[in-house]
Amino acid sequence: MTPRTPFRARRIPGVLTFVCGSLALILGVAAVAGQWILPHWDRQNLLTGAAMPGGGHPLGTDELGRDIAQMVVAGARSTLSGAAVVAVGSMLVGNVLGVTAGYLGGLTDMFVRRWADLLLALPALLVTIVVAGIGGGGYALAVAVLVVLTSPGDVRLVRAAVLEQRHRAYVEAAETLGLSRTTVMVRHIWPNVLPVVVANTLLNFAGSVVALSSLSFLGLGVPPGAPDWGRMLSENRTLLYDNPSAALAPAVAIIVSAVVLNLLGDRLFEAFSDRRS
Amino acid sequence: MYVPARGPGGPTTPGTLLEVTGLRVVADGALSGPEVVLDGVDLRVAPGECIGVVGESGSGKSLAVRAVVGLLPDGTRTDGGSVRLRDQEILDLPPAARQARRGRGVALLMQNPFTMLHPQLTCGSQIADGLRPGAPGGPAVSGRRVRRAAERAEVARRLAEVGLAPETADRYPHELSGGMRQRVAVAAALAGDPDLLIADEPTTALDAANQRAVLGLLRRLQAGRGMGLVLITHDLRVAFSACDRVYVLYAGAVLEQGSPAELESDPRHPYTAGLLAAEPSVHERLPRLPAIAGSVPAPGRRPDGCPFADRCPHAAPVCATPGVLLRPLPHVPAPAAEGHQRLSACVRLAEIADRPGALKGGAPLPAAGPAKAAPADGAPAPVSGDPAVRTAAAPVPALLLEGVYRTFRSGAVRQAAARGVSLTVPQGRVTALVGESGSGKTTLARIAVGLETFDEGRVEVGGVALAPGRRPGHGERVRLAGQAQIVFQDPYSSLPPLRTVEATMREALAAAGQIRGASRRERAEWTRDRIGELLTQTGLPAGCATRRPAALSGGERQRVAVARALAVRPRLLVCDEVVSALDVSVQAQLLNLLTDLQRAEGFAVLFITHDLGVARQIADEVAVMYRGELVEQGAAADVLDRPRHAWTRRMLAALPPAAVGRPGPAIGPLGPGEQPLQ
Amino acid sequence: MTPPRSPGPGPANRPAPQRPWHVRLGAALPLRYVLRRLAGTAGLLAVLSAAVFALLRVAPGDPARTLLGTRSATPQALAAVRADHHLDDPVAEQYGRWLADALHGRLGTSIRTGQDVTAVLGDRLALSAQLVLLGFAVAVALGLPLGVLAGLRARRPADRAVQSLAVVTLSTPVFAGGLVLIYVFSLMLGWLPAYGPGSGGGGDRLLHLVLPAATLGLSVTAVLVKLTRAAVVRELAREHVTFALARGIPTRRVLIRYVLRGTVVPVSTGIGLVLAYLLAGTVMVEQVFALPGLGQLLVGSVTFKDVPVVQAEALLIAALVCLANLTTDLVHPLADPRLRTAAATAPADRDKGQA
Repeated sequence: MTPRTPFRARRIPGVLTFVCGSLALILGVAAVAGQWILPHWDRQNLLTGAAMPGGGHPLGTDELGRDIAQMVVAGARSTLSGAAVVAVGSMLVGNVLGVTAGYLGGLTDMFVRRWADLLLALPALLVTIVVAGIGGGGYALAVAVLVVLTSPGDVRLVRAAVLEQRHRAYVEAAETLGLSRTTVMVRHIWPNVLPVVVANTLLNFAGSVVALSSLSFLGLGVPPGAPDWGRMLSENRTLLYDNPSAALAPAVAIIVSAVVLNLLGDRLFEAFSDRRS
Repeated sequence: MYVPARGPGGPTTPGTLLEVTGLRVVADGALSGPEVVLDGVDLRVAPGECIGVVGESGSGKSLAVRAVVGLLPDGTRTDGGSVRLRDQEILDLPPAARQARRGRGVALLMQNPFTMLHPQLTCGSQIADGLRPGAPGGPAVSGRRVRRAAERAEVARRLAEVGLAPETADRYPHELSGGMRQRVAVAAALAGDPDLLIADEPTTALDAANQRAVLGLLRRLQAGRGMGLVLITHDLRVAFSACDRVYVLYAGAVLEQGSPAELESDPRHPYTAGLLAAEPSVHERLPRLPAIAGSVPAPGRRPDGCPFADRCPHAAPVCATPGVLLRPLPHVPAPAAEGHQRLSACVRLAEIADRPGALKGGAPLPAAGPAKAAPADGAPAPVSGDPAVRTAAAPVPALLLEGVYRTFRSGAVRQAAARGVSLTVPQGRVTALVGESGSGKTTLARIAVGLETFDEGRVEVGGVALAPGRRPGHGERVRLAGQAQIVFQDPYSSLPPLRTVEATMREALAAAGQIRGASRRERAEWTRDRIGELLTQTGLPAGCATRRPAALSGGERQRVAVARALAVRPRLLVCDEVVSALDVSVQAQLLNLLTDLQRAEGFAVLFITHDLGVARQIADEVAVMYRGELVEQGAAADVLDRPRHAWTRRMLAALPPAAVGRPGPAIGPLGPGEQPLQ
Repeated sequence: MTPPRSPGPGPANRPAPQRPWHVRLGAALPLRYVLRRLAGTAGLLAVLSAAVFALLRVAPGDPARTLLGTRSATPQALAAVRADHHLDDPVAEQYGRWLADALHGRLGTSIRTGQDVTAVLGDRLALSAQLVLLGFAVAVALGLPLGVLAGLRARRPADRAVQSLAVVTLSTPVFAGGLVLIYVFSLMLGWLPAYGPGSGGGGDRLLHLVLPAATLGLSVTAVLVKLTRAAVVRELAREHVTFALARGIPTRRVLIRYVLRGTVVPVSTGIGLVLAYLLAGTVMVEQVFALPGLGQLLVGSVTFKDVPVVQAEALLIAALVCLANLTTDLVHPLADPRLRTAAATAPADRDKGQA
């Protein structure tokens, strides 16, 4: 008995998925266009100082009298763009190394695997703190280090998926037809690995949002003055008594972004495993 | 030792052990709603009786027994009917009460000895887990030490019962062979001393010799313990050789019931007759196997009325009347004294039975529809064994292996898959390579198409020589591709899952550099025509070109795989167990198709199989492999009728005998120089 | 196949006596395996220590200037530092000397404070260790049961609830979670102290560590929940579980002996991973809750580019990570007999008949 329902038939359009998708879209718009839509996000008003919500400031103001709501929208860019770079960069590295190692096997595979095992054992955030801090390269270095430290997960995942496909009869049939190795890798193996890759990229995206805002919180991420959720949280946490939303709003923004990305990634994984079972 | 059944005399104990009536099982699809998988199944087992439930994949035989033990897989549930165990209805019982009944009332033995036992627990502890409290060695005995000692003694006794040494108790499953694991599983299933044992394809994953042994063991345990035994199998021969009565299941309904002897000599349903006829025999080669057209319908697509109607040569409008009922045969008076009746669900039995020989096993049912599409009008087919053809063949053999060695190393373990194998596959002929699993035959097939390396020796594929010790490079593979192509065993993985059949075929044509035409349009047209031609040749409807593999049945996928291989016009087609994953009826279609294609196109075939009947049906020549060595080789009739090597004789002897009352030769001890099976 | 013998404990079928425990342990954990794992750990440690040593070179500019810190970089001072740290020797020699010193507990002096690094670390080790242990306890106590629950109730409401919680904790950065907990439990409810390590005895210390430990533990709980759930779901689907139920073994026993047994290897791997995450988490937690532990020291030293301190801490963390790895590696063969002969796995049997 092999009841094989097509992929789409099983994907129940869940309300949750729809909500997550919409939120992801809003976050995307904020990241891309937030600072154009709200050009005066950093207007200061030292007279007001930190104030509770009200008077044209739905979330109140910070110590410099800046509007929290506007700053949260403007801060989407630095937090999300850095995380996106980490996720996509790690996906690219993971795919190239994973597909190559899995398909070629032998020594290539051994080196790639050792490398991945080594990096996977390390606490990524800690290494980033140390390297980015000592290296003094700021945000760019932090992102680069995170790409290196996130990619082993992708390498492993892709490699395992490739190995699973590697000895399937359809791959061997393609080889017997005399197709080149590159063709077999790119046109036969990779498309079947892709869904896992996309799902994992979303999860990595979520993880990087958390990691990068942690770095900013420690003062190791974006330079002072730039709008960034982690930095806002770090600067405004002393305002818990004066205006709690100044600290809580960026926290909520980080959590919501990461939740949305995590849920979408999980859903994708689930849909993918449904299709395979 | 083969234990003869008690014959059609049936049970002597009055009463029924298990009575299943009108059992319905539905599967809940996410969008399509519930689909009826089992539609009114009736089964009856008397104490001490062994019944067989035979059905192809999709018949629902496994679900039926899962429903009986109350362990249906997720997404399926019972939807009516009754299951009575010792006169107590158990479908209504709460889960806890059913769990308490399992083990002592009924136990289920499953198919795969490699996944049925927990890999991290010793065999002994898994047997001990099922021992009943109160029984000797059961957990009720007081005192921890005493209890443990008693338990160990009991486990040793249980192991002895299935023919295993007491040391096996401390071994882990991965340290044992498949046959031994299946014995441990039998002991574990019997630990609770069940009244009824249900064995779901218990021998399918085993080698022929182990199949015989485990079957004999089950039968002997059943007789010795006086318990009921339900044997689920896809193989009519297995059921016939072991059971008192056999139910034939098809697409969720029981179509016929009778004793093995009756069913074999006098099938009373067109489906049973068709199944019997479609099975290739090791003793003779038929010009065409009588195949049943089409394939088993999926649960959602069954016809109303008789589920077999749309494949049945005798179908008439009356067959579409809803409701499949097993009824006693019209002409045969009920042998009341023997306790059971012949039953058949065919509504047209009266009309059909009048035609002489219509339902005899091996009766010429109309051959498979699609398979007929293969060209039969070409030159007169070369008759097998014709010496003229042999000498007329091209001087370069399609495949030449000389002294080929291949050893797999994994850490300290070395396993020789080929030990000095020399084999020649002449042009234009079919050579079957037979052997048990692990004999190295698949490795040879893979070497021939460059998917596997070999350590030393000479390999030439239609004049293209392969170098030992390394995978062929790109150029070599391209040259090799024109000479040899391969079709694999598993139809579900042999096509790229995301591509349409047309895209797969186009890629094959392009890879072979065959696409002709000056302009882009001409080439597209040529490609389309050629794909259409190949699909027709392999008996596929034109409409399937735009489908993806998931929308095709197993048989159809295998046909696409054959079409893809033939797109290159190879001179050698390697078929690696291509029919072993298919149902008997579909297997016959594919064997006929391959024979037709081979005769029309004249390519050579290297056909790998573990099934001697299949080898007999398809091959001109047969080569036998045993533990990496080629032990016998010759014309098919010579090798299979007059085997010279002890191993060939053993394989032939291990085939299930025709039916109860005609016990086959027992498996004798190994001759000198032979190693025991693992 | 040997022909089956008749039932009954004949003389040939006397049960073998159970072997003594040390023999069984030896079989379960072969010495060769242990030695190979130890060698592997040593190799890993060597690579990591080299990376830690290289940190000095990662800092932009002249290492001597870096080591000099804020002191005025007179030529004399630079030369003194060079001589002191043997900066003009070949790199390999420097590494060897540094490693030998480190192994003897000589980790140099802090650039910032001029104190002995070993002493500085020692002062702060206790607090961080308490924090990590408490956080670990929280994570295991929550993650494993919830993961098992979610796995057993897969795709039902309980599972959805646990998974949603897991996603939220996974998505919450440690510092944000910490602030929320402070806001709720300290500011709004006033139940627990918000900042500082507390003064005086163990009780006060424990009270001060409740929120930090909860924050730290919760931040890694999701990882354990996910891993455990996946392992339970995978094990439940195994045929041997169905077979165990089908032969009447009580459901409870099947769950504990058959299902959970199979999850030991993946879950222990997860626990090892979690330890690494916890080490990273302490940095954030100590920052949020103003705890003077190793994490706070690390952030301060990194910002100040106090390289000797950072190197010492990094080396300590690397050793802990290696130790966690080694432990899980040694647990695996105890849990799964198939891993005891890891090198000697049977070759893939391609000839497997009809599946």
